[in-house]
Amino acid sequence: MNFRDLISGITFLTCGVIATLVGKDFYADSAYVPMGVGVLMCLFAIPVIWRGAISVIRYETRTGLTSQPMVIDPARFGITLICCVIYYIALPVVGFYTSSTLFICILAFLLGERRPTIIIFIALSFIALLYGLFALVLKRSLPVEFFLAS
Amino acid sequence: MFESLFHALPVALSTESVISMLIGTLAGILIGALPGLNPVMAIALMLPLTYGLDPLIALGLVAGIYNGSMYGGAIPAILLKIPGTPSAIATTFDGYPMTQNGQGGLALKTACWSSAIGGVFSALALMTLAPLLAKVTLAFGPAEYFWVATFGLISIAVLVGKDVSKGMLCALLGVLIGLVGVDSLTGEERYTFGSLYLTGGFELLIVLIGLYAIPPIIEMAENKSSSHFNAESFKVNASVTGVSLVRQHWKTWTRSSLIGISVGILPGAGGNLAGLLSYNEAKRRSPEPDSFGTGNPVGIAAAESGNSADNASSMIPSLTLGIPGNLIAALVLGALMIHGLQPGPQLFTRAPDVVFGFMWQMLLTSLVLLLLGGMVATRLFAQVLRLPAALLVPTTLVLMAIGVYTVNGRVTDLYVMLAFGLLGYVLNRLDYPLAPVVLGILLGPMAEQNLRLSMLISQNDWTILFTRPISQGIILLLLFVLFSKLWKGGWSRLIAYLKIKNQ
Repeated sequence: MNFRDLISGITFLTCGVIATLVGKDFYADSAYVPMGVGVLMCLFAIPVIWRGAISVIRYETRTGLTSQPMVIDPARFGITLICCVIYYIALPVVGFYTSSTLFICILAFLLGERRPTIIIFIALSFIALLYGLFALVLKRSLPVEFFLAS
Repeated sequence: MFESLFHALPVALSTESVISMLIGTLAGILIGALPGLNPVMAIALMLPLTYGLDPLIALGLVAGIYNGSMYGGAIPAILLKIPGTPSAIATTFDGYPMTQNGQGGLALKTACWSSAIGGVFSALALMTLAPLLAKVTLAFGPAEYFWVATFGLISIAVLVGKDVSKGMLCALLGVLIGLVGVDSLTGEERYTFGSLYLTGGFELLIVLIGLYAIPPIIEMAENKSSSHFNAESFKVNASVTGVSLVRQHWKTWTRSSLIGISVGILPGAGGNLAGLLSYNEAKRRSPEPDSFGTGNPVGIAAAESGNSADNASSMIPSLTLGIPGNLIAALVLGALMIHGLQPGPQLFTRAPDVVFGFMWQMLLTSLVLLLLGGMVATRLFAQVLRLPAALLVPTTLVLMAIGVYTVNGRVTDLYVMLAFGLLGYVLNRLDYPLAPVVLGILLGPMAEQNLRLSMLISQNDWTILFTRPISQGIILLLLFVLFSKLWKGGWSRLIAYLKIKNQ
């Protein structure tokens, strides 16, 4: 139990209150379960907040009881997330196969893979496999490549 | 009945039937192993292709895909913590920690054997208990289904993880996520905040991939080590044979298979519930419950045999009563109808070769898993997944993207997946268990719908929930689980107190 429990408990309590307040405006039968869930969430958040608060008061966080950091490596965490968001933005514009190939090559490089032949070989063979399975066998429609779009 | 059963065996063992079972099982393993593809989709796509085929060849493919995909789902669940199918959720709990501990090969072998044994048990149940058990399920009404869902939800929330409050909060969060969208009974929009996207609610598979697959991938990306897996991870100790696995897990397999069969017979409850309940029961009965979630093979044995035991048994109400227990059972009924066969009690007398042949095919494809599962999973998939982490992270993210995109063909789903991934990452860091969230999403709507149906039937008389004998049995079981948790907690605290006092 530590400071994080206090914060997470308060977050769940807030969620519970919002769920109840929004839920009470639903039409009759539709409101019972949402309100019940909101109230129960508030009730179960209280012990978590209580224990978190007690831990904070007792200064347990200062005695080495804090668990692992929230983000182990902020730089790599950020790179992965940013690349994902850019990939998702590019997907409908550039096309699935092109954007996926670029995404694999760029993210692999940024995460520390420094063998270009390996990166390109893996990216191309993986994309070829996906093309064979999803486009040829299963005939699933995926975002069209920018150079094929009419 | 048994005479017809044995007459159907040579038909099921005909060359065409065997080939269709082999192709179906192989395709099923591949489909299950790829997140985003599921057996329902595969069988639905395949049905039109079977028009000109013999019914047993078509059903052999269905049986193979169904059983194969249940095991296939375990492969990414064990190696990447991505449940290939929703039924493989419970397999991730111990499968992935085993891979991290360098026991990926053993985990895959245990999963393969457990799936096969669960499938065999289930097929035997289908062959012998079908008519009898179908009658029992007719006694289940909305009140009973409400309690089944509540039991699954509360017992998992209480038993998974160390903190009951956190488990319950996660379960409630899951129920809340499951409530988003249009209410099926009144048509009212709930928690959509005017968003068109939220009107349809969250797609289970997208939430699942986000919650379960993104956090380990981010952790893998954060880890600077060059390779996520090592060659040793996939080597299985020579002393670990099928016989040794049977000796080690026969009790778990029997118990979990019985749970899976019982769940399978209930229409609406799926393999995911069977796997989670079996895992839960194995943990509850274990002398070392704390070892679950850290890489205990018993967890995999329970989850896999439980979810596979659901397969054939879910066909019991379909074949005997014409009531499909799940989507796949509905598709099997469709396949029978395409070939001019009307499901129901008369099916057993009108087309005994087909119906009993299909039962044999469900049994045989479970056994085929031992051959194909071992070869394909351990020797091929595992080798592919031996890529360096820097390459495995982007390729897995692309696989997730294609899996999620193909569900609805919407890019928005990818952002939703990422958002749930971040939620899962944060919850993991804060020591909140993820399993109850998923259970909440799955069982919350089921519990709500059946609760409201009960109220409608009884004209708002709450006693309907407590007066029916099956409901009372489930309530007693729930109380037993809650008290056993309290008892265990109190007992361990007492022992700790006495130890401190003695010192």
